[in-house]
Amino acid sequence: MPGLPQQRQFNPYSENGGTILAIAGADFSVIAGDTRQSEGYNIQTRYAPKVFRLTDRAVLAVNGFAADGNMFVKSVKQRLEWYRHAHAKDMPLRAIARLIQTMLYARRFFPYYVYNILGGIEEDGTGAVYSFDPVGSYEREACRAAGAAQSLVQPFLDNQIYFKNQLAAAGTSHPTHLPLPTVLSIVIDSFTSATERHIEVGDGLEMYVVLAKGRTLQGLEGIRGMQELTTTDDGERVFVVRRELKKD
Amino acid sequence: MFLTRSEYDRGVNTFSPEGRLFQVEYAIEAIKLGSTTVGIRTPEGVVLAVEKRVQSPLLESSSIEKIMEIDSHLGCAMSGLTADARTMIDHARVTAQNHSFTYDEKIKVESATQAVCDLALRFGESVHDEEAMMSRPFGVALLIAGIDELGPQLYHTDPSGTFMKYDAKAIGSGSEAAQSELQDKWHKQMTLREAQILTLRVLKQVMEEKLDHHNVQLAQVAPQIGFKILDEKQLKEIIEAM
Amino acid sequence: MDHFPTNWGRPRNDAHDAYGTYPIAERPYNGPKDSFSEGVQHTQQPIVTGTSVLAIKYKDGIMMAADNLASYGSLARFKDVQRLHTVGNHTVIGAGGDMSDFQYIQNILDELIIDEFTAQDGHSLGPAEIHEYLAQVLYARRSKMDPLWNSLLVGGFKDGKKFLAYVDLLGTTYSASTLATGYGAYIAQPLLRSAVENNEDTLTEEAARKIIEDSMRVLFYRDARSINKYQIATITAAGTSISESNHLETSWDFAEGIRGYGAQTQ
Repeated sequence: MPGLPQQRQFNPYSENGGTILAIAGADFSVIAGDTRQSEGYNIQTRYAPKVFRLTDRAVLAVNGFAADGNMFVKSVKQRLEWYRHAHAKDMPLRAIARLIQTMLYARRFFPYYVYNILGGIEEDGTGAVYSFDPVGSYEREACRAAGAAQSLVQPFLDNQIYFKNQLAAAGTSHPTHLPLPTVLSIVIDSFTSATERHIEVGDGLEMYVVLAKGRTLQGLEGIRGMQELTTTDDGERVFVVRRELKKD
Repeated sequence: MFLTRSEYDRGVNTFSPEGRLFQVEYAIEAIKLGSTTVGIRTPEGVVLAVEKRVQSPLLESSSIEKIMEIDSHLGCAMSGLTADARTMIDHARVTAQNHSFTYDEKIKVESATQAVCDLALRFGESVHDEEAMMSRPFGVALLIAGIDELGPQLYHTDPSGTFMKYDAKAIGSGSEAAQSELQDKWHKQMTLREAQILTLRVLKQVMEEKLDHHNVQLAQVAPQIGFKILDEKQLKEIIEAM
Repeated sequence: MDHFPTNWGRPRNDAHDAYGTYPIAERPYNGPKDSFSEGVQHTQQPIVTGTSVLAIKYKDGIMMAADNLASYGSLARFKDVQRLHTVGNHTVIGAGGDMSDFQYIQNILDELIIDEFTAQDGHSLGPAEIHEYLAQVLYARRSKMDPLWNSLLVGGFKDGKKFLAYVDLLGTTYSASTLATGYGAYIAQPLLRSAVENNEDTLTEEAARKIIEDSMRVLFYRDARSINKYQIATITAAGTSISESNHLETSWDFAEGIRGYGAQTQ
């Protein structure tokens, strides 16, 4: 119809690739993500962190639309600070999980286009992973992958963490929790493999390790590229391990 | 005395030259007209006890409600203008529910107390034209009892919005005598049972009528069980034991 | 899906869209009619647009470039437009996308700098602060479904540190040692990366200028919305400077050798 302007809706979302993953151990938690940020076939940057330390016992990984992700993390950190001032303590992990749900659901009709994975240590000292959908559905799990290479990584984790499609040797059973060095190897293998097969994954890897109160560093002492981020000396401890991934 | 106050005792927004807010001080005075209320903290939990003044034999004593639940782990006893306390407890209940909805954990005793005191302080808000939420300070003091990760706790709030943590506290008309009695008798390793009996003994000393299960009310917050108002049978049993 | 075959494959209507402004096609509309569509204007579209902006880190700071063209669809409408803008003493921003939105951004940043100056509190906004502010403004506008239709590069040097970051109409942000907006992200970015990555602290100004100029030339050859007139900004410890317009030296000799399309008969 001549004269009528053509309507074209502005799309307020984008998808910035990358993958995140978290695994809970008996008394530790590992939360990891690659550092590539992309849009379509463009690599926007080789280093844009997707994993963030919230407290000494909570780490949040955010994947999806990067602008929403960064804004969401900023808001969560602000709420954690308000909570600290109001209640004179760091927010416990399960409280952060519930807070994230309420914050996501508050935007039910204009969602943050992000998949969140929260990892850390619970009040009872156990390692925990919580995963969320963009509008706030959440559950506690032993492991979860999300993002561009979720479909590559999650089946691998199901096999390696939950021992799906594996039979225990006669007279033995599968372990319920794996030791930290094993978990770190699985995380590194997940990301090198995802980098090989998915164009949106690569460049760099950041793995956060949260250790329960009083747990020793056993098996981690000499690990390459590790840095401690803990702020107190009597509670849980947080570390980050940075590795290179292929850049092609 | 009243001559010096007359210029400054009307508005809640004006300090006297000596730096006092008379309306707030009068509100605190109002509490001293209220019935005696006692709270005791022990390592096993917190006990709250109130005197119910049954002014007429025709009054149904069970309709006097001076101890109320805030949340399953939080209770509250009052003295003063008890009608004002409903507004405060309503606010505390909503705050506690909002907290558990948002954070999936029970609110701390101090945080709930702080929320009540934030409300108590709002008498000073809004100037002439605006719609004022409150016209005067609350005329009631509360004893807030509860258990959280820091253990059993007892807080006292007054109309100025000040709150303090106590091991044992008495408010209301007989509070002076009651408080000194508590100071004598309270000790660190008190059992909940000892605390129940002590609250009643203290009340008995300051009450004009003879203490029985109609004119006192007892409540406690204990681990696992949480907040409970003791029923007639339990109350009678403690009165007899005392 | 447009179910009216008469609309399929139609060329754009020159009567209504002579210059192929974006989006190009103006075709008969036969879809359902929204009676309230004229009630609230939710979004616009870019009208007068600038194309790529390039920026790199080098030894002394940041170098940024953008050409002087503002297009109206396919029409080269304004040929003397400056798309680089100084903000305060340590920052230059460069803009692609809608030029009127960019002018609005220049205005709010100028006001911001004046407010900050009049405070006289010893603070001065650096590139990181300007970038964060822009990101908040652009994200807030996209969240109102009323975006500022730009891709912006923010380059700066303050307290001995280089700063280079991107922000766009969605509020998306990122930082890298080489950045390019628009068509430059496809054409220039690979050239910039191979020249700059891992050489940020050794690359001389002359070398940086050469890389930028070569990239601008390639863009002029390949980007139909570009022009051979551009400016270069540098931001170093000495402050900011934006050059006069330069003309690109180009050579079209190779056109002689092209066969297979065009006017040649064989």
